[in-house]
Amino acid sequence: MISKSPFKRLWWRLETPVGQTLLWSVVVFAYLFLHAPTIIVMGASLNASSQYGAISFPPTSFTLARYWEIPASQFHSILLSLKLAFLSATVGVVLGVPAAFGLVRSRLPGKGLLAAIFRAPLQIPTVVIGITFLQLVYAVGDALDLDLSGSFVGLAVAHCFVATPYVVGTVTAILQRFDGRLEEAAASLGATPLRTFRRVTLPLIMPGLYAGALYAFMVSFGDVPISIFLSAPGYMTYPVEIFMGLEQNFSPTILASATLVIIFCFALMLLVQRVVGLETLLRIGGTGRR
Amino acid sequence: MPTDIAAPRAPRFKPLNFAFLRRKATPGDEGDSRVWALMLVPSLIVFVVLLVASLGLFIEGSLHRDLGYGRTGTEWEISNYLRVFTDSFYLKCLWITVKVSAMATIGTMLLAFPVAYVIARLRSRWAMLLLAGIVASTFITIVIKVFGLMILFASNGFMNRTLLALGIVGEPVVLLGSEGGVVVGLMQFTLGFAVLLLYSVVQTIPRSYEEAAQALGANRLRVARRVLLPLCLPGISVGGLMIFNMCMGAFTSAALIGGGKVMTLPILIQRTIMMEVKYSMAATLAALLLFAVIAVNLLSIFLMRRMRAGRKVIA
Repeated sequence: MISKSPFKRLWWRLETPVGQTLLWSVVVFAYLFLHAPTIIVMGASLNASSQYGAISFPPTSFTLARYWEIPASQFHSILLSLKLAFLSATVGVVLGVPAAFGLVRSRLPGKGLLAAIFRAPLQIPTVVIGITFLQLVYAVGDALDLDLSGSFVGLAVAHCFVATPYVVGTVTAILQRFDGRLEEAAASLGATPLRTFRRVTLPLIMPGLYAGALYAFMVSFGDVPISIFLSAPGYMTYPVEIFMGLEQNFSPTILASATLVIIFCFALMLLVQRVVGLETLLRIGGTGRR
Repeated sequence: MPTDIAAPRAPRFKPLNFAFLRRKATPGDEGDSRVWALMLVPSLIVFVVLLVASLGLFIEGSLHRDLGYGRTGTEWEISNYLRVFTDSFYLKCLWITVKVSAMATIGTMLLAFPVAYVIARLRSRWAMLLLAGIVASTFITIVIKVFGLMILFASNGFMNRTLLALGIVGEPVVLLGSEGGVVVGLMQFTLGFAVLLLYSVVQTIPRSYEEAAQALGANRLRVARRVLLPLCLPGISVGGLMIFNMCMGAFTSAALIGGGKVMTLPILIQRTIMMEVKYSMAATLAALLLFAVIAVNLLSIFLMRRMRAGRKVIA
């Protein structure tokens, strides 16, 4: 192709210093955009002055008063969210790991459809999942003559339903690149199938398992659109409680509890990163979304 | 993980019944395939039951007349659907949802691609750190991030004070309660995921292709236009579709930044249940949202197929 490109006459090209600067400034802007809200919440939680209202950033004078004023209800909802998230991660591993093995290693007809069933919770709009599970909770409650609205059971089932696909995704990603010869070597050296699985297969899929569990935990911990339908007054997950708080009135204590939650999330990510290594976590984490 | 001897395609697994010790493995040997298939059964049953039960109940629920106060009629009728498709208010909400989602998707992709490209092409440990920054941001609850955005966008907030002080704008920019603000909120929600998606897309394209084009005298822009973008196009379209789906179902950012002034379908669904207690109507609206998402997906897949079939070899 020999054509006069209209870009030829442009004064900037990406190999010039100007072009490089442009590219990098886009990157810097993106990172600022991604992290500014989090930094603002953390900074505003320390602000003592009320020059621009009760909540403002950047802080001009510092106080820890907000942290002592966090109401008990917020700690209760953080506890409920933690319970749900741990349950989702656990159930996600229990249901998701065998599912991933089945999806990759069985030779069933229509595996594409089966995989689609496990991907469905990621494809359906979350609000729709919320309302369908609300109907389900009512129907089951009617059938059993129980009042399940705003109960732990309804929340737990819905959370596990949306969290499990992440584990399926991460473990599937590992299994597809798995070198079958390692297992064959173990078996040919006399290991029983069970021992092969325990000593060879399991250690190799462990990173995917951790990454998937971490993602399941975070998805469950941060969810609003599903939990909002299944929560009840006095029984809310933490994000739903913040959501309600922001819709009605801005309580500055939310800033303080949110900062604690942010720190917890970062700590958890660092912990998992120490166990499986940053590179593995990121490489598998990116594939868990597909 | 053995990287140097990675098998190009999924190997056939036979360690479970020592099939490899047989002199001749029969081609139709189903022994351990069955064991693996059995592992699939429990979770599959759970998922199929939950999917069928919840979707079935909700489609069924949308086919009854609403009597208000959480009560529904017993007759089967499509009155809700007729109302949705004849009332201009609902159609306008659908239009706003699609419009805001499309704008946010375009904005997110434009911002995410350069970032993903830079991370994928960096040759140092910086790449991992930058990626960790992205992943960390996706782990923070969207509610907390939107709270931060609300503080930032407030009429006397940090952004407006800065813009006014620099003299860029004459009066405070109003983002809270406007469609533009909702678009920014949706971008905040999807940007991290988009970067991760596009990063894995760019990674699959060998650096040597770009180097070859440069060696043949193309400048960076031309490399991007004639080599990089065409190769990334399938990945970009699939990723864009996923981001669009996320935006269509996004509730938190639209509800809080829109402040009830920007009515997207997810917000309308939540209000129909919480404020008006009309389960059937809410189910109908949810069905409308679901069908809209499915329609957009099918259309995009069709267009992608057409493009792939009609695409000429890029010489």
